[in-house]
Amino acid sequence: MLTLEKPKASVTPIKKINPVFQVKDLNIYYGDTHAVKDVSLQFPERAITALIGPSGCGKSTFLRTFNRMNDLIPEARATGEVIYQEWNILDPRLDVVALRKEIGMLFQKPNPFPKSIYENVVHGLKCAGVKKKAVLDEAVEISLKQADLWDETRDRLTKSALSLSGGQQQRLCLARALALKPKVLLLDEPTSALDPISTAKIEELLLELKKEMTIIIVTHNMQQAARIADYTAFFFQGRLEEYGATAALFEAPKVERTKQYLSGQFG
Amino acid sequence: MLKAKHVDRLMTGLMIGSAMIMAGILIFLLGIILLRGASHISLSFLTSNSSSFQAGGGIKNQLWNSFYLLVLTMVFTVPIGLLGGIYFAEYAKDNKWTSFLRSCVELLASLPSIIVGMFGMLLFVNVFGWGFSILSGALTLTIFNMPVMIQVSEAALRAIPNHQRHGSAALGATRWQTVKTVLLPAAFPALLTGMILSAGRVFGESAALIFTAGLTTPNLHFRQWHLFAMDSPFNPMRTAETLSVHIWAVNTVGIIPDAAQVAAGASAVLVLVILLFNLSARIIGRMIERGIKGN
Repeated sequence: MLTLEKPKASVTPIKKINPVFQVKDLNIYYGDTHAVKDVSLQFPERAITALIGPSGCGKSTFLRTFNRMNDLIPEARATGEVIYQEWNILDPRLDVVALRKEIGMLFQKPNPFPKSIYENVVHGLKCAGVKKKAVLDEAVEISLKQADLWDETRDRLTKSALSLSGGQQQRLCLARALALKPKVLLLDEPTSALDPISTAKIEELLLELKKEMTIIIVTHNMQQAARIADYTAFFFQGRLEEYGATAALFEAPKVERTKQYLSGQFG
Repeated sequence: MLKAKHVDRLMTGLMIGSAMIMAGILIFLLGIILLRGASHISLSFLTSNSSSFQAGGGIKNQLWNSFYLLVLTMVFTVPIGLLGGIYFAEYAKDNKWTSFLRSCVELLASLPSIIVGMFGMLLFVNVFGWGFSILSGALTLTIFNMPVMIQVSEAALRAIPNHQRHGSAALGATRWQTVKTVLLPAAFPALLTGMILSAGRVFGESAALIFTAGLTTPNLHFRQWHLFAMDSPFNPMRTAETLSVHIWAVNTVGIIPDAAQVAAGASAVLVLVILLFNLSARIIGRMIERGIKGN
């Protein structure tokens, strides 16, 4: 049967949500590649939302919209709306630097700067113009504690961040983001380069952090989504296929493709 | 038919062979220069004035001129080269304008130094009327060295993986803040190595200086504190024959009876200094790298 209507994603309404982001008809292109197609959804506050889907489904590209990291890719452009507070994040006039102070990000591979642990944590604050040593010292202690790294590093804050283990480096990157007291934390497969113990530690921290902030996590690991995410969105070939509470989506997917993906028929 | 295993062995042999040829030429060259020159190097050779027609002249002033010219050249070259490199690596968009600028830098880098010297003579010596002087020489060497410095800086910055830029940007750093606080410190070992290596090139340059810094040097008095006195070592407007120009001069226009020995001694000193530059570039670069990694 022919129809002019685009296939609609199955979006289960989430009750009484206080959306942090409202995404409306988002499309993202890299040159001629259409990476994200007509995505509309809302992200609830103080919850963990997982973005899952096979490689190349656009979930990372989608994630990088919220702090405009796609700006760093010369060919990328986006249409549609991403409403955050009273602004459209896609508005070219928006102060990206200020936006990124409120919306922190953690990357796939731990990427500490080749400087001391202390300097890594205060990087964002210093760039924001904070100069007082007392303020910086306090921020270092608080955010390292939040990232559960304080006990391991308190005696070696002046040592190079590269001397830490992979898991410690990722927690340092988390502390670095937390030092700016972000309202949202974006995570792009943050544990894919880590061992199971370090992964468990990061997951534990995220569950703690969601009490204070909104967390959006891209993950290849479906068990991880099932363990920590309150809501899950499944992407396939740039489209949002299904979105809803994690338990419901994993136990009774409404879309055939979600079912196939979750049962491991492709990936 | 040759088996793949034999081809592999043959190619390995050829590669080792060419590496050996290169190393052999270097060792042979260094050996000859040092052997012939070493006997002539003495404290008095290094610390006495050069002579214009008698035997027994030293190279004190030429050695000083070489270092002073080098320092002045680096003072001009490093900031321009660094800013240019940062522009190409971090700011320039990938378009026709950038590739035009890049071709300009490459062309400038490949100009023969004698041509750069002629240009320096026309502009600094004649048009600006600075005469044969350290300033004319240093600016000419800047033209000669700046493109190399730009390329070195660009390569050093490009070698830093993108996740560093993204990490910094995600923390709300502007592009310049990222360059200043993350990229330049991370690139520092490579930048320093590049700087010292290009310093070696400047130190040994002669053709560009013959027409710009001159073939003579006043006898310098190191207690002369008047900057613009003719015998002040720091006077930027005086003529300054450098070590490598001296080697050329005593061999071609010199009338001293011991020209061959002076040239051999001066060559050995020149080669030793450049060797020192190269070794220190490696050692310092490695030391800083280790410091950053914190092992």
